[in-house]
Amino acid sequence: MANTPTTLPPTIPLTHTIKQNLFSSPFNTLVTLLTAAFFITITYKFVDWAFISSIWSTEDEPLCKEATGACWSVIDARHRIIFFGLFPYEEHWRSTLACVVMIATIIASCVPWFWSTAKLSTLWLLGFCTFYILMHGGLFGLSVITPERWGGLALTIFIFAAVSIIGMPLSIVLALGRRSKLPVIARLFGLFIDFFRSLPLLTILFTAAVITPFLLPGWLQGDKLYRVIAGFAIFFACYQAENIRAGLQAIPPGQDEAGLTLGLSYMQRVTRIQLPQAFRNSLPAIVNQFVITFKETSIVTIVGFFEILASGSAAFGTGKWTVYYIEVYVFIAAIYFIFVFSLSRYGAYLERKLRVGHG
Amino acid sequence: MVDQSNSDIPAVTMTQVNKWYGDFHVLKDINLQVADGEKVVVCGPSGSGKSTLIRCICKLEDHQRGTINVLGTELNDNIANIDEIRREVGMVFQQFNLFPHMTVLENCTLALTLVRKKSRKEADAIAMQFLKKVRIPEQSTKYPGELSGGQQQRVAIARSLCMNPEILLFDEPTSALDPEMISEVLDVMVALAEEGMTMVCVTHEMGFARRVADRVIFMDEGEIVEQNSPQEFFDNPENERTKLFLSQILQH
Repeated sequence: MANTPTTLPPTIPLTHTIKQNLFSSPFNTLVTLLTAAFFITITYKFVDWAFISSIWSTEDEPLCKEATGACWSVIDARHRIIFFGLFPYEEHWRSTLACVVMIATIIASCVPWFWSTAKLSTLWLLGFCTFYILMHGGLFGLSVITPERWGGLALTIFIFAAVSIIGMPLSIVLALGRRSKLPVIARLFGLFIDFFRSLPLLTILFTAAVITPFLLPGWLQGDKLYRVIAGFAIFFACYQAENIRAGLQAIPPGQDEAGLTLGLSYMQRVTRIQLPQAFRNSLPAIVNQFVITFKETSIVTIVGFFEILASGSAAFGTGKWTVYYIEVYVFIAAIYFIFVFSLSRYGAYLERKLRVGHG
Repeated sequence: MVDQSNSDIPAVTMTQVNKWYGDFHVLKDINLQVADGEKVVVCGPSGSGKSTLIRCICKLEDHQRGTINVLGTELNDNIANIDEIRREVGMVFQQFNLFPHMTVLENCTLALTLVRKKSRKEADAIAMQFLKKVRIPEQSTKYPGELSGGQQQRVAIARSLCMNPEILLFDEPTSALDPEMISEVLDVMVALAEEGMTMVCVTHEMGFARRVADRVIFMDEGEIVEQNSPQEFFDNPENERTKLFLSQILQH
């Protein structure tokens, strides 16, 4: 090894790359400069509005009328409504703690160490139980707060987590069912998936919230929140099932045949050979579905739940704060951004991790 | 259980086996017996049904008429029989079919732990033993995508060997390889043959057939047209179709 002199490709200086890509012709130079000017102006204006000329505390609210920047006083004054909705004021600590528990559960389940059915189910069972006890109360001397009064960030995260954790296993079952060798089974699963995919989410949530109580016996109805989550989870699962099915279809048939000739059972082939490869194949689409779902949680407003967007609207809905809706929406957008961006980055990390050894 | 001590039982017996793909009659009245320890090479033009023939032996394809007996157990719709036969019959594919998301070692130990219920440690030891045998132990922590075709095929052979099969089936094991890698795979196959493994190989490697085969079978249009010892088969082919086929593959 040491004896063979290795030749390396010539290194290209950075200045050369920049010149080549951005300033190669007068027109190119013009476009580069105009684009740069545009972005610098936008950034400057936003920074000035949000940070430099802005007003921060509730007491300074009277200054807002004169100020050219954002009036963050509205957030300072009304952040509790944004974060907690109609949750009783003196119990806000419970909602905060529940939120932390749920986020911690989500983060933990992203860590490869937890990736076994036993660990994940224990984790989520604990996570949901703790969340429920904190939010609902009725145990350990906590006062009972029914789901109609849950709201804000805790509700958004709860709906997202519940939909994901119910929807994900369901989507795997649906995807496998649709690929069944028995034509009747495959048709039935296909019909189920296509039926729910053909309906708008709004319709499904509305049906779950308003119409199912007329159809189901009382003991099966559960709270409106759980019916809505169930409807949402089915909708999510039908879309996710198609993503997973795409991933399954991309696997060469020889993979399953190799499993067969080694004597692996159907479940062993599915869990050890097919699903790991299917997830890897359609990871971008799968992560995308989670991202969409996180943002779609705002639709539950329509059936009367104060998730974070709705409680945000309530925050600027009264008195002197009505003019500061832009600040509230920017604030909520920032919260959504933190969650969704983390989700996307995690997806990118997973793609890199799973690409190991893929040639 | 398959009685492994009784060598009177033929490894494979196919009687009047017929198979169709839709209307296409792909196997026609196949009668074939493979004795314990015998090495059979199956050749023939593409589309002649030779791959289908050996895929029927491990039930990757269903036959529609006739009977197939493997190690004394009949291959029918009885799931227990199919499972038992699949555990005793190994298969090496043209496209290797290694699991790309597992390392070389994990590829070999998967069925050992899941099907043979070995402990992690035992499985690793067995796998390493067979990886040494195919002369590739140093690659055990790599992923299949990092190996050459010849290396991948040797891993695939090791993976089959880990299950300690009674019969090993090869479906054109060198057809997907670059020419310079064919011999490394054939060397491993020759070594296996010399150890007495029962082998049924679909291959066009006539040098290999001459060297290790006890019998060469020529198939065309779904029929076994001719079968003979390699010596007779290559030097005195009887059937016109055999002569034509041999002249086509040996002229270069």
